[in-house]
Formats: sequence, C-alpha cells, structure tokens
Amino acid sequence: MLYQTKIRMIEIFKNMQAVRHKFVVSQKVYEAFQQCSGDYNPLHTKVEFAKEKGFKECVMYGNILNAFVSMLIGECLPTKDVMINSQDITYRQPVFLNDELDAELTVEKIYESVNVVDFKFRFNNVNGKTVARGHIQISVI
Amino acid sequence: MEKERILAEVQDIFRDVLDNDDLEINFNTVADDVDEWDSLSHIQLVVGIEKHFGLHFTSQQITKWKDVGAMCDDIATSI
Repeated sequence: MLYQTKIRMIEIFKNMQAVRHKFVVSQKVYEAFQQCSGDYNPLHTKVEFAKEKGFKECVMYGNILNAFVSMLIGECLPTKDVMINSQDITYRQPVFLNDELDAELTVEKIYESVNVVDFKFRFNNVNGKTVARGHIQISVI
Repeated sequence: MEKERILAEVQDIFRDVLDNDDLEINFNTVADDVDEWDSLSHIQLVVGIEKHFGLHFTSQQITKWKDVGAMCDDIATSI
C-alpha cells in the first residue's frame, strides 16, 4: 500500500503546472534572516560600504532567496510529502530592500524509480530581469 | 557496452556521490560493504546512474538489485 501511494504521488508531478509566487524582501524578512544567520557583513548592513563597492544601497542576503525556495517547496507543491535533497542557486543581479520578486518553479525531470523530482527555479525582479536561478531536487516521502 | 566498462563508470559515480575518491567496488559489492552507502545516498546513486547512462529504471527493477553486479546487469540490458 505504501508503495502504491508513492507511485500515485510521483504521478501528480508529471502534469504539474509551473508554481508562481510573488515575494517581497521586506524589512521584516531582512531582519529575520539577519538574526537567523548571524551574518552582519557590511555589504548587507552598511550603506557606505555597499556604495564603496559600487551598489546603490545595501545588498540583500542572497540566501533569503533560498528561504523563499524553501517556501515554494514546502507550501506550494501539490503534496506536502516532500523533502529537499539538494539545491543550487546562481545570483545574476543584486536584490535590494523592498524589491518585489516573481518566483517560478517548474519540473525539470522525474525519477520514478526513486520518487525524486528535479525542479528549476528563477526569480525575476519588477523589471523582468532574472536576479537568480537554480535547481532543487526533492524526494517524495 | 562490456560489463567491466560499466562497472568502471558506475564506480566513478559511486566515488562522486559518496565523496570517496578511493572507493573500490566490484560486482559483489553490497551496501553493507560501503560505509557511506545508506538509503539517502542510494537515491543519489540511482539518479546519478540514470543521468549518466540516460536510463529510466522502475522501482521494481531497483528493489531487485542485490549487489552492484545486478545493478550493472540492468544497465547493460537497458543501454
């Protein structure tokens, strides 16, 4: 019975439409991540430092986007019976405070033999530019 | 492809997935023989093999694998 349930679960990813979700890197998100990570690097906390390095203001933590990916996997898939196996991300543009990001998550490959799904994801800013993209692999548990 | 050649390529996948460059496997190797080969790494081994050889196994197939030799047999008949 367990085996049949897993087979059916993996089936739901075959015709799954892309998951789309809007995120905002708000002050609350920024502070929560800062406290969680303990990362107070001046690029993220000192405007003067960020400007010296060529940015208009403090650059947001790239790994905030990984937290958003966690939400996409944990909350937006057609089943909650999932676990993240691996994840990679490439940053292409800096993200700043209060930026709105459109996330898109699509199925890339399904490994039915081991109930594994590969996804690719990207985050676009309001100008339509991709700020980050990557891949994430999950197991259906 | 010859089974010995398949074994050599499978060994490279094992070394990469299990992060052990010195790992030596043979047709009789089983999970108990390799410290890093657990249920989670097994998933990555199967995914790595499917990607490398361009194959799609079924869950019925992989549950019948008793050792690396059986794994290589299935690869040989599928490519």
